[in-house]
Amino acid sequence: MMNDETEKFEQRLTRQPLRPIPREWRAEVLAAALSAARPAPRASLLETLNQQLATLFWPHPKAWACLASVWVFILTVNLSMHDSSPRRAEKSEPPSPEMMVELRKQQLLLAELISPRESHDADRPRNFTPRPRGERVEILTT
Amino acid sequence: MRVIIKMPSSQEIERLYDAHAAALFAFLFNLTRAEADSRDLLQEIFVKLAREPQLLAGVREERAFLIRLAHNTTIDLIRRRCTRERTKENFASEVLSLFASTSDPDEKVFREELSAALGELPEEQRAVVHLKLWGGLTFEEIAVALDITPNTASSRYRYGLDKLRGRLRPRYEEMKKAE
Repeated sequence: MMNDETEKFEQRLTRQPLRPIPREWRAEVLAAALSAARPAPRASLLETLNQQLATLFWPHPKAWACLASVWVFILTVNLSMHDSSPRRAEKSEPPSPEMMVELRKQQLLLAELISPRESHDADRPRNFTPRPRGERVEILTT
Repeated sequence: MRVIIKMPSSQEIERLYDAHAAALFAFLFNLTRAEADSRDLLQEIFVKLAREPQLLAGVREERAFLIRLAHNTTIDLIRRRCTRERTKENFASEVLSLFASTSDPDEKVFREELSAALGELPEEQRAVVHLKLWGGLTFEEIAVALDITPNTASSRYRYGLDKLRGRLRPRYEEMKKAE
């Protein structure tokens, strides 16, 4: 009797139709699933570089830009100075003969001053001849 | 060695959807009692199937496998969002339209009460009762789907059904008399 009642109750419940799935979900769910199945396109080298740079400079992009412009300015100034110096040397006039004679004299004088003197006593090595101890004491007392 | 995984065709995904989505939705909706959550979970399941087509390779019972996948995904969602308490509260307070609407006022009240009574069942009993009554699965199939023994499935069903009967007795008796 009890089993019969249970069966009837079960049948009653089973007969209750469930809420249908919303129709519009089909397109949405399938679109999401199929787009997930497709392999993601590989980013190009430039895109990757751009992303890396953006990640690196993102906190203070203006500060990094200012620093970069300062460096560019320094580099430009440095290059311009480097280029002009030999040109200036080329443009200057050749020295006069009197100046050349004077320069030659100064060079000779400098060479004399720098060259070592052969007669200098301090540079000569001393000849040391050992003597008996008693003789040394005599020398000290006298 | 490079493993090449064949991507599923759109026809295959569509076939799976048409064959199982309605049953999966009903199961998910009974467990979550939230339409948005059910939709998210259903999408998550089909995205998983599309990304990992090897999941279905060698599966004999697609429905049981998908029910298992749905159950696991629901458990993950509940753990992730910590909605267990929230959903329990919802089940007690709200009467959600788990069943199709009807013009018969008696049937309507019965369905609302049944929906509420199901919501009061513990999750594990509700899953078994749903799969037995509306999923048309045997205890063996339920056991496979929920990763439990057939005896456990049977006992959970009995406990669940007894609770439903106790809860719906007055309304059920009324309707029997009227018939």
